[in-house]
Amino acid sequence: MIKKVKASLSEKILFIFLISLGIFAFSSFFLLKNKCLFVDEVNLKNTNFTNPENIAVMNIECGNVVIELYPDISPNAVERFKTLINKKSYDGSAFYKVVENTLIQAGDLEFGNKEYLDYSKIGSGKSGLGLLKSELNDEFEFTEGSVGFARTTEFNSEDSEFFITLKEIPIYQGEYTPLGKVIYGLDILRKIKTGNKAIYVLRPDYINTFRMLNSN
Amino acid sequence: MRILILFLLCLNISYVKADEIYNLLKIPNLEIYKLKSENNIRYLNTKGDFKIGVNDNIKCNKVNQKNLIDKFSVIEKNLNYYNSKFLKNISLKYIVLCEDLYISDINTGGIPDTKKRTLILDINFNPKYFERMIHHEIFHMIQKSFSNNFNENVFSSFNNTDFSYAECSTCSDRLNLDLYQNTNGFLTEYSKSIPSEDMAEIFSYLMTDENKINEIIKEDQILRNKVGFIRQGLSKIDGNIL
Repeated sequence: MIKKVKASLSEKILFIFLISLGIFAFSSFFLLKNKCLFVDEVNLKNTNFTNPENIAVMNIECGNVVIELYPDISPNAVERFKTLINKKSYDGSAFYKVVENTLIQAGDLEFGNKEYLDYSKIGSGKSGLGLLKSELNDEFEFTEGSVGFARTTEFNSEDSEFFITLKEIPIYQGEYTPLGKVIYGLDILRKIKTGNKAIYVLRPDYINTFRMLNSN
Repeated sequence: MRILILFLLCLNISYVKADEIYNLLKIPNLEIYKLKSENNIRYLNTKGDFKIGVNDNIKCNKVNQKNLIDKFSVIEKNLNYYNSKFLKNISLKYIVLCEDLYISDINTGGIPDTKKRTLILDINFNPKYFERMIHHEIFHMIQKSFSNNFNENVFSSFNNTDFSYAECSTCSDRLNLDLYQNTNGFLTEYSKSIPSEDMAEIFSYLMTDENKINEIIKEDQILRNKVGFIRQGLSKIDGNIL
């Protein structure tokens, strides 16, 4: 006759713990691997913009980032930015310079593209449209989500590269040409791959598409 | 080749330099001390030691906050002698405050850089000369931005014909910063090093003790000419500086 063996309380607790651990490990593998999982995305079709002609939409891995451009503050810079967007020049551009929770930079059209990424020259690429004069504004505050034209250490060297601040950077006030501000999608930008403790990112994230709202 | 570049990149850019101030000034380990001021000067201080320049030849250390608080009022008072327009003209916007500043292993009070619009100041510099040193270094930025106003050949011609400056400011032993009892064309021993240091010494005394200089030039014809030359050059930039 076989005697039925009952599990003790401690054995039951251990069994439940192991089952829970298994479920957690399994779900973590599939869920946490997706960095875009908990990112909210704006529905462009249901959103009304007061000045749609100055709204640009940058699509990246985790969704759309909506940027309002300020031609009243930096007319020449915004015109250049729109020109490059309309030419689809930023499509495939790498976020090669990312300072975690601080700023991201992209727009090297020559050496920082998905098709051609040259780490020895990145940051020095040209658009072919020539350099622009800096349009500095002492009133524009580089708060979280501000978009500015990048430059070399010299003024009047703006071309195609741009940066977006992920936190307020007061020291940039009056130092860089403002282009606009992110109105939706800051969380999406925070998901962009960083260079860990370095400025430059190896195997960076890319811009999928960058369009003016009116052209969509 | 690409793998090699990637490998080198990993080795070379793995330092913790990634912050917004480094992005702007290319000096690591800085933080904002005071951002807003009437003349638009922005004050930064070191939160860690830094090395910059060719072969890391410029070195400076982290500031002690108490030391910085003690010295800051003196620094700000002296910088406030200059208005924002003048400072913009001479390309000075950022004051970097650190301790024990060295360039090529030589201790120095300040290092001006018009390209980055930055003046690095050693807050541990000898207190006896500290205020004057600030103006001395600012003069180097003035001269860099307005070299035509401060032609070194014209300035040197005021000296006696038997005098000659050294080849460079640090390749002579003329380093003493104390005021001569008998000036004879030069305010300090360091004035005798090179023309630009001579001019900077005069300017620094004009900014800190103008009455004394006015007394001295009554008796010293060479210095009278030199002071007149400096004043003339400055008046072309801003009539209110002196």
